Amino acid sequence: MTINLSGIGIDYIAILPELVVVGTAIVVLFLELVVPPDRRQWLAAATVVGLLGALAATIPLWGQNRAAFGGTVVGDSLAAFFNVLLIVITILTVLISPRFLRALDLDYGEYYILLLGATAGMMLLAAATSLMTIFLGIELLSISLYVLSGFARTALRSQESALKYLLLGGFATGFLLYGMALIYGATGSTTLRGIAAFTTAAASSNVLLLLGIGFLSVGLAFKASAAPFHMWTPDVYEGAPTVVTTFMSVATKSAAFAAIGRVFIATFPSIASRWYFPLALIAIFSLFIGNLVAITQDNLKRMLAYSGIAHAGYILLGVLPGTAQGFTATLFYIAAYSVMNFGAFAVVTAIGAGGEQTAELSYWRGLFYRRPFLATVMTIFMISLAGIPPTVGFFAKLFVFQALVTAQIWAPLVVAVIMTIVSFYYYLRVIVVMLTVPEEAVVEQHSVGFSTTTVLGAAALATIVLGIFPAVVLDWATHAASVHF
Amino acid sequence: MSWYTLPTGVPWLTLVLVLPLAGALLVALTPGVAGRVIKQLGILTSVITLALVLAIIGGFQHGVGDLHLQFEEALPWIPALGISYHIGVDGLSLFLLGLNALLFLIAIIVTDPATPRLKQFVLLLLILEAATAGILLALDLILFYVFWEAMLVPLYFLIGVWGEGRRVYAAFKFLIYTVIGSFAMLIAILAVAGLNFTQTGQLSFDWTVLVQHPAAGVWQMPFGLGTVGIPQLLFLGFALAFAIKMPIFPLHTWLPLAYTSSPIPVVIVFSGLVSKLGAYGFLRFNLSLFPDAAHSLGGPLAVLATIGILYGALMALAQTDLKRLVAYASMSHLGFIGLGIFAGNLLGIEGALVQMVNHGVIIAALFLVVGMIERRAGTRDRGQLRGLGATAPLFAALFLVVSLAALGLPGLNGFVGEFLIMLGAWTAFIPLAVAAGIGVILAAWYVLRFYQGSFQEAPPEPAGFTEMRWVDAGVLAPLLALIVLIGIIPAFFPAAVDATVKALPVITR
Repeated sequence: MTINLSGIGIDYIAILPELVVVGTAIVVLFLELVVPPDRRQWLAAATVVGLLGALAATIPLWGQNRAAFGGTVVGDSLAAFFNVLLIVITILTVLISPRFLRALDLDYGEYYILLLGATAGMMLLAAATSLMTIFLGIELLSISLYVLSGFARTALRSQESALKYLLLGGFATGFLLYGMALIYGATGSTTLRGIAAFTTAAASSNVLLLLGIGFLSVGLAFKASAAPFHMWTPDVYEGAPTVVTTFMSVATKSAAFAAIGRVFIATFPSIASRWYFPLALIAIFSLFIGNLVAITQDNLKRMLAYSGIAHAGYILLGVLPGTAQGFTATLFYIAAYSVMNFGAFAVVTAIGAGGEQTAELSYWRGLFYRRPFLATVMTIFMISLAGIPPTVGFFAKLFVFQALVTAQIWAPLVVAVIMTIVSFYYYLRVIVVMLTVPEEAVVEQHSVGFSTTTVLGAAALATIVLGIFPAVVLDWATHAASVHF
Repeated sequence: MSWYTLPTGVPWLTLVLVLPLAGALLVALTPGVAGRVIKQLGILTSVITLALVLAIIGGFQHGVGDLHLQFEEALPWIPALGISYHIGVDGLSLFLLGLNALLFLIAIIVTDPATPRLKQFVLLLLILEAATAGILLALDLILFYVFWEAMLVPLYFLIGVWGEGRRVYAAFKFLIYTVIGSFAMLIAILAVAGLNFTQTGQLSFDWTVLVQHPAAGVWQMPFGLGTVGIPQLLFLGFALAFAIKMPIFPLHTWLPLAYTSSPIPVVIVFSGLVSKLGAYGFLRFNLSLFPDAAHSLGGPLAVLATIGILYGALMALAQTDLKRLVAYASMSHLGFIGLGIFAGNLLGIEGALVQMVNHGVIIAALFLVVGMIERRAGTRDRGQLRGLGATAPLFAALFLVVSLAALGLPGLNGFVGEFLIMLGAWTAFIPLAVAAGIGVILAAWYVLRFYQGSFQEAPPEPAGFTEMRWVDAGVLAPLLALIVLIGIIPAFFPAAVDATVKALPVITR
């Protein structure tokens, strides 16, 4: 008996980038068996090569609309936009990893395999157009990250971080899955297209559907670490090895927002009046909690964790209007956030390569005089995170604010503006601390290394260059956002 | 009217922006130990910039061109949102541009070569120069905003790192104040462009476009609080940013601390130039984009400006610290400029423009003198200084000229601007003009008391105050020359800005 598979639309081109990443993971898995332990940077090199291949496989998807596998995934510009972003983040992460891992005696091949697994999950999430694939993507990235958070097996904080992430993450997954079940029950379909077809304006009073959307939002907001579903973020970020934090702080958030965009912008535009208020509330909560609590943090990783919560709020603001302009701003913000936040955490990683206690702000005192390069790039990232021109962070906020003004959404805008002013305090405090003359002369430690220096320099340069010429990325974001308008 | 024509096809104004940045790059590449080379690089950069700006001032043709703008350059920047790199210069910005170049040159010259981390200091000053020049040249509202915010970063570091006393707190307070105003302005900018888009269907942040379609309409406030005019609302958004920067009473509380904490080179550009950028913003945006609101809200703002004149003068009288005294004097003078602007008539605005240049020159000279006194006598306390003139007659003479200019003696530059402003204020609000007149009297009081107290009287024993060196006199010389020149050719500046001011929407409507 032959099974006819022609109807479900097998299209490997549409998921080729994901396939390449998964393939690379398998290759690295076997490579680890033959590579001698003191040559593990070869694994990093193989990972980068594979990721570059995935990047190449992404390019043909630009401008396409390849719905594949029965409408469960799609290879379109939006997916390509996120693929590029996620792959670049992963490549940069891999480049700063070896030195950090060696310093902490964690240089195992599994690290790269798990990293690739998480990336594949995130890419799948960005391409997912069915509740099933969304779930698959989220689980793939989550499980990889649970392990990565606890990768420093001997460090108690790392174990605690992994356990906390696993427990809370499992809880969030429960919500997510329950929401999906409810949505399926209400609409009779698991593909976003089928759900969208059911969800007309008349469906706005369907309690089952609304409940399902609510639970689904909780699961996604958890992954995006938006308040009030952010509780895990500071502890996990603090406890996880810094290089893992660097990766997950930007990549997970990006992927979660890809899914949020697919769900809210593309699937439920007809009942926007129903989800607008809860989403606005989540955004406002995130802005308040993220910015206000960040003020009191004396640990840089925790401060950046709260700052990441705040930025989730800004990114969510772009979703609120439900317009092409707003979604474009969201995409631009995600790209900008990825560059600058990656940079900021990468500086912490570079300094933390000597030990984990170095994220305490007191350790950073007088950094300008010990490590002028690291202090300078950190200043650039802090200024950008605060949204001061001429950096990319300014335009990210500008585009979001403009979308809100155009849509005449005033209350969240006012909150965002006030909280931005608040955020100046803690971002600039880092700079002030780095400028404060240290009490005692601190001896110069290990060098940062060539690849880390290059990555940091490139991120800082991108932060400024995109802050002066944002038009290119904005055009990409506009094009990527246009697939759902 | 112009003395010569500069060749076209050269991006003159972009050069004004790029030169300080190029200098900053050179400084950045110089090893930090080469202190003298760094300072010389800084001086060289600002001399070339000043020469370029003077060439532009000479080649500026008055009363021609679209909206009287000259040397315009326009390139698409973010075309999708109607944001462009559009710069140009007109009567409002021309002489401030000159002041910008001059004050930064002086600031770098008077920088102490023994300043710790001199390299970063000069670097930040040069970046600041580019940012302030950008503020004066930008004709796109987003571009303007970018420069406006970018100015904060170097200023923040210059005060926070190299300042004195509670410098970090001072820098931070200044920053937070400014940022609050900035964001109000940012929202207003976005709303102006949004309104223009709904009116004309063209999304643009270009000043030359927006100025053609003044905003109109009313906004229904929520909760039945009545209605408010949209132009008035937007006017206030911009006004908050500019009023904080000037500052206008009661938004001035950051000023004494920030000025007192700044090192002398920084306070020269801070008080001499940065405060003027607030006044310039009022002219460029508030009076041009919302002429009707400027008429309806001009009165209350003029009252605040007048309060500022009197408050600043009274506070200056109460100070014993000379730096604080000059800081409050500066605030009082800024009140005059505000009064002229909010009078909203030709005389007032021309007077304000002239006074902006005058104030920049005078206040820079005053802070320079305070810095020289402090360096020689080791104190800025008015009570401990006396009889300095006995051993330093040249110092005393030069300082007297500056003092007399500061109190508005006819024949010196301060008089020209204040007189025009008073005329303009008299036409618009007679009581305020009278009150401002009291401010002039108070100015004479605190300035002359400062001079008499510290320079005349009997010198202490032993009289250790040294005479002015030629270098110091050389730094003061261009400022003194301007003080005298503007005083004896009073018609020059008003005539030069006449065409631009007459075309301002606030005058024509």
